[in-house]
Amino acid sequence: MQPSVADMAHDDAGPAEPTLGSRRFGLATLAIAVVAALLAGFAIGVLALRPAAAPADDSPEAGFARDMITHHDQAVEMGMIAYTEAELPGVRQIAYDIATNQQGEIGMMHQWLREWELGPTAAEPPMAWMPDGDAMGGAPMPGMASRDQMAELREAEGIAVDQLFLELMIDHHLGGIHMIDGVLELTDHSEVVWLAELMKSGQQHELEVLRNLQQQAADHSG
Amino acid sequence: MTTKTNKGDRRNQSALVSQDKRGKGGAARKGRKPIAPVKVSKERNWGPIAMFAVVGLLAAGIIGYAFWAQWDSRALPWQEQAAEIEGLIDYRAEDDSVMGEAQRAHQSGPVQYDTSPPAYGPHNEIWQNCQGDVYPAPIANEHAVHSLEHGAIWITYNPDLLDESGVDRLASLVEGNEKMMMSPYPSLDAPISLQAWGYQLKLDDPGDGRINEFIRALRVNSSLEGPNARCDGGVSTTGTTPIA
Repeated sequence: MQPSVADMAHDDAGPAEPTLGSRRFGLATLAIAVVAALLAGFAIGVLALRPAAAPADDSPEAGFARDMITHHDQAVEMGMIAYTEAELPGVRQIAYDIATNQQGEIGMMHQWLREWELGPTAAEPPMAWMPDGDAMGGAPMPGMASRDQMAELREAEGIAVDQLFLELMIDHHLGGIHMIDGVLELTDHSEVVWLAELMKSGQQHELEVLRNLQQQAADHSG
Repeated sequence: MTTKTNKGDRRNQSALVSQDKRGKGGAARKGRKPIAPVKVSKERNWGPIAMFAVVGLLAAGIIGYAFWAQWDSRALPWQEQAAEIEGLIDYRAEDDSVMGEAQRAHQSGPVQYDTSPPAYGPHNEIWQNCQGDVYPAPIANEHAVHSLEHGAIWITYNPDLLDESGVDRLASLVEGNEKMMMSPYPSLDAPISLQAWGYQLKLDDPGDGRINEFIRALRVNSSLEGPNARCDGGVSTTGTTPIA
């Protein structure tokens, strides 16, 4: 609902002009100045209301999203194996919970990248966004299971599935929390902070559950 | 975001309301009659002109900056990134049916494909695992094409035309990365061929920068099922006959 320029031209601005000519000129100037001021106000509004500039391609936010997608991807795979193959109902249950939760979070992180207009594949090596990112000891990301460990989990049978899954997932969560702490130090992006903190509290809780289940699995096999 | 916008709207509205009030006040002022002009001052009144010029420039600058900031640092859409890759074969552009239902059909047993290696087409209901898998022996086209539908990049190479260090170099791009897989393809008419659903790129040199361009543009983005399609839960078997 913009007031028309004609409406506002009735407005007097500043001290009255001494002559009629300059007064008419003053009205025209005023009208144009008001339009200009409105445009300026609009532009300031547009700028102020713009969402914070999207993170850049090499930002910690983008690096975290891409690496955590890969990290989560492996956890989903582990979870699906344990959901179908584990002995203990409690292990199958937590595996189901981890797989579905982390797959959902993968979708959220892909959506960030889409909204930031960034691709899902990084130009930099994994973990380059973290200060100590290159000290990964061979694994692409902290807590990741090796190819051989994943093969071992796929081939395991009986309670060995439970034991190996619990061991790998505990390491996986510890590594994930390390990455989460890393991004929390580097970003104040509200969506990233929100999900990172949610992941952290969720994984810390799951660590407790996983450790209790380790005891159960030990009792079961012993 | 929504609440921010509303706040902004309210702020703007209140500003407009006060403008309205002032406008009404102006309209209510009495004793305004049109007066015939008597004399036009020849004196240019530079003050308002300068003011207006400054305000106008400021407004133009702010508006210009706002739009520039919106447009700046925008990455090209992935389709355009792909289109810039020299030598890329874009089957999607050549034929709409590449994205159609018939090409996505599940089919058991061997399938005849339009291209070698295949880059799209009917496929086995079970996909080939593409969790950064480097297969030591040829795999079934029918499983591999299903992986392409999930957004995987399939790197194939002719073992007679690419030496071991070349194979290792390609493997390093695949290992540890979901939505990537690689296998030898003995009948390949080039040392290397990259496939994504509806796209193909044949090359000679494992150090060619276009390999990374292809992966960055098309990995995940080429998925017909969105980014959440999985690359595990399929088969990891080698051999060129589909398992069912």
